[in-house]
Amino acid sequence: MSTPALTRRTLLAGGAVLATTTLLPRPARAAGRIIAPVYPGPWEEAYRAVVLPAVKKTQDVDTVLTPLLALDQVAKVKASRSTPPFDVFLLDPGPVVVAAEDGLIDKFDPSRCKNIGNLQKSFYDDSGVAVAAQIVGIAYNPKKVERPKGWKDLFDPKYYGKVGISGFGTTFGTSSLIEISKQYGGSMTNVDPAFEQLKKWLPHVGVIAQNPVAVNTLFQQGQMDVTYTNYQTVSTLKGRGVDIEFVKPDTGPIAFYTTLHVVKNAPNKDNAYKYIDTVLSTEVQAALQKPPYNLLSVNKNVPLQPDMPTDLVKSHAELASFIHHDWRIIAPLRAGWIERFNKEIRQ
Amino acid sequence: MDRALQQGDPAIATPRARAPREREGWLALPLALYFCLFFLAPLALLAGISLRTTPQLEGFGLVQYAKFAGDPFNWSVLWQTLLIGVKTVALTACIGIPLGLLFMDAPRRLQPILLFIIVLPLLTSVVVRTFAWMVILGRDGLVNNALTALGVITAPLRLLHTELGLVVSLSQIEMPLMLLPLISVMSRLDPHLKDASAALGAGRWRTLFRVTLPLSLPGLLAGCLLVFASSVTAFVSQTIIGGGRMILMPFYLWQQATTLFNWPFAATIGMVLLVAVLAVVTTLNALGRRSRALVHG
Amino acid sequence: MARQTTAGDLSYRVVLGLLSMVALLILIVPVVVVIITSFTDSRSLRFPPPALSLRWYSALFDPVQSAQIHTAAWNSLVIAVSATAISVALGTAAALAISGRRTWWTQALDALFMSPLILPTLAFGLAALMFFSTLRLPLSIPLMILGHVAVIVPFILRTTIASLSQLDRGLLDTSSSLGASAIYTFRRVTLPAIRPGILAGAFIAFMASVDNVSVSLFLAGPENDVLPIRMWNMLESQLDVRTAAVSGVLIFTTAILVVVMDRIVGLTRRIS
Repeated sequence: MSTPALTRRTLLAGGAVLATTTLLPRPARAAGRIIAPVYPGPWEEAYRAVVLPAVKKTQDVDTVLTPLLALDQVAKVKASRSTPPFDVFLLDPGPVVVAAEDGLIDKFDPSRCKNIGNLQKSFYDDSGVAVAAQIVGIAYNPKKVERPKGWKDLFDPKYYGKVGISGFGTTFGTSSLIEISKQYGGSMTNVDPAFEQLKKWLPHVGVIAQNPVAVNTLFQQGQMDVTYTNYQTVSTLKGRGVDIEFVKPDTGPIAFYTTLHVVKNAPNKDNAYKYIDTVLSTEVQAALQKPPYNLLSVNKNVPLQPDMPTDLVKSHAELASFIHHDWRIIAPLRAGWIERFNKEIRQ
Repeated sequence: MDRALQQGDPAIATPRARAPREREGWLALPLALYFCLFFLAPLALLAGISLRTTPQLEGFGLVQYAKFAGDPFNWSVLWQTLLIGVKTVALTACIGIPLGLLFMDAPRRLQPILLFIIVLPLLTSVVVRTFAWMVILGRDGLVNNALTALGVITAPLRLLHTELGLVVSLSQIEMPLMLLPLISVMSRLDPHLKDASAALGAGRWRTLFRVTLPLSLPGLLAGCLLVFASSVTAFVSQTIIGGGRMILMPFYLWQQATTLFNWPFAATIGMVLLVAVLAVVTTLNALGRRSRALVHG
Repeated sequence: MARQTTAGDLSYRVVLGLLSMVALLILIVPVVVVIITSFTDSRSLRFPPPALSLRWYSALFDPVQSAQIHTAAWNSLVIAVSATAISVALGTAAALAISGRRTWWTQALDALFMSPLILPTLAFGLAALMFFSTLRLPLSIPLMILGHVAVIVPFILRTTIASLSQLDRGLLDTSSSLGASAIYTFRRVTLPAIRPGILAGAFIAFMASVDNVSVSLFLAGPENDVLPIRMWNMLESQLDVRTAAVSGVLIFTTAILVVVMDRIVGLTRRIS
């Protein structure tokens, strides 16, 4: 029996594999490449289908997309800021403040993007540029419950046991909780009324999700029938055949912009600008807005109609009239809110 | 041997060579070095970061530990986490020991099949197992649909996101860790002991509690330790099956590290968890040694 | 004199029988459920599934749709093979040094090498991330391999030490007294005897690496996406039923591997 050979072979094979992996085409970070994060789920599908080919065709740049939530992106870059694992950030307003404060974002130079002229001035600054608009509201299962009208309905007895609440870990969660708080006398900086309301309602809770994207799963599984979330989530799930509809709260829907930034010390900075420029282009924005992706455009040349339902939003002007929160004020308060949420909802 | 050893054969060592056993100590050096570099050093760094006073990693002090100790919420999170471990051990032992006994008494042919079943959770991915429990415990899942079909309930039960659901799923996931050491020890027991016990008139229960279990204690203990340690740190299961209302140490660590970016406090939580598990394990080990002395004299 | 079957005997058999049935059920049902769910026709995780189809398997094997999953699976494989190989080399050497000897330092080393099984691996994952980031090393596959070795080597150590403890020392003494060098003795006497133990440990270590979440969660990056993290993402963010198909494939592959390993090294005997 060739027994010693077997072990030697194993060791050699292992060593060979190890050697090979180090020889594999390393992320050479040479020209023609960019590593970009994108939100997992519908965003990733949209970007893979639309942005990747567009960037290759118009800029001859290969994109490696990596699915990461906004906060996870910041976490990864924080962990290796001198050699960041990707070149751009795709962030919601909350994480933007965190990343900016920590010095992770490179100064944005709008002049390097040809398509910047297609955007209103308010959509970009020296930190980054908006690439999509998000609308936050209430989602419900029309087959199982009545259509809720506003934030207060979430606590209505007829929805007891069916409502899902997610915490301050996400932008849409924070915004929704702020709006809920406003219904009971609070404000953008004072969410105490929301906590009090939650406490009263807790015995009738449906489900609480701390993981931001668990909302999709829980809704699909029928663990909850009413919740608050982005319109994008709703339209994606609906496109998959899930029974779900979006409702603009009667007190006004919330809107915020998802932005692209260049990471400080990004290895492929030039390609990063090319990538951003492509995302802002009229063709890409139009394609991303079409079903099933439904990412609302920020480009003047891409009207929101007819892709978006008329009862949702008719034009960019109307979008600007939705409720916007100032995240520079909210961000410092959020850590405290998250920790308080932990304590209040705990079983 | 494929050929006879001849004088001058290179395989023959000089007679002066020491016995092989004495020279082998250095063989542990590579792994020891590896552990120092890639296991102990990171943990030391973790401890060091837990001593920083601000999230920006400035200053040194016990601020983070004071912060942890000062808030009863933190203690209750730790306590609940350890308790989940204990409950999982209890459930796993209660149903695992009988299965182990069944295995020992099973006919030879069936044993490999039983062993395969026992090892099954280890061989399926943790995400797979968690996913399975989502399907089983969900509102529209196996248990609820079965109970509804049988007419036992009219409205679906909440099984997911409860402590009961979590403990049951964890016990499946950790069962092999309990059973493998247990079976390993039980299979080395002298079978005549059981026969002697029966011949002396002891009933099955008595034999179990007076002979079999005490003698299997080392394996049982090892199993309990592994199940405890593993279930306490089972991040994926706790988060998906336990749900958002169950704040346990692994999630707490994760939230502090990746949502709040408070590395020092996250490191502190990690250190506290480490020390707590180590304390429980050491205590159990010490008790085990004491009991082993009792059994073997 | 044969004992009569007493009430005690009966209750013993009933209670233990019931409890072990519960255990078996709990062990088997989840796996069966996953396999059946992977054949569901619908987009949700309803059980029993409303209709059966192979659509999720075909979606999984579609190179365009599931390219990310394939990459992640490949990465997991590469990392697991490398980590296992390194662990076998380091672990076998250490086992030789430690086994059978009860000096203070062998016991200390034994405890140290076993500690990853006991210590919260999530904390270690965070520590590893902080460590590599302090050293300014970008996340990559080799780093992931390094992180995995620490958490899987205990398995190899355990089985190898167990094998060594069953080795007849007399054989080794005979060999050396016949004039064989230490290396020769190792190659020709020790290694064949402990090879099954090493392979069993290597198998478990390999599975542990493929399955590892707590270290991979922290060390994963764009270039080294691994299967469990990818599946976790899929599950949490979009309830992608392809997760069920991946699970089906994993179960099937592992089952085959176990059967093969059993033939080669009597795996089932080794573990018990």
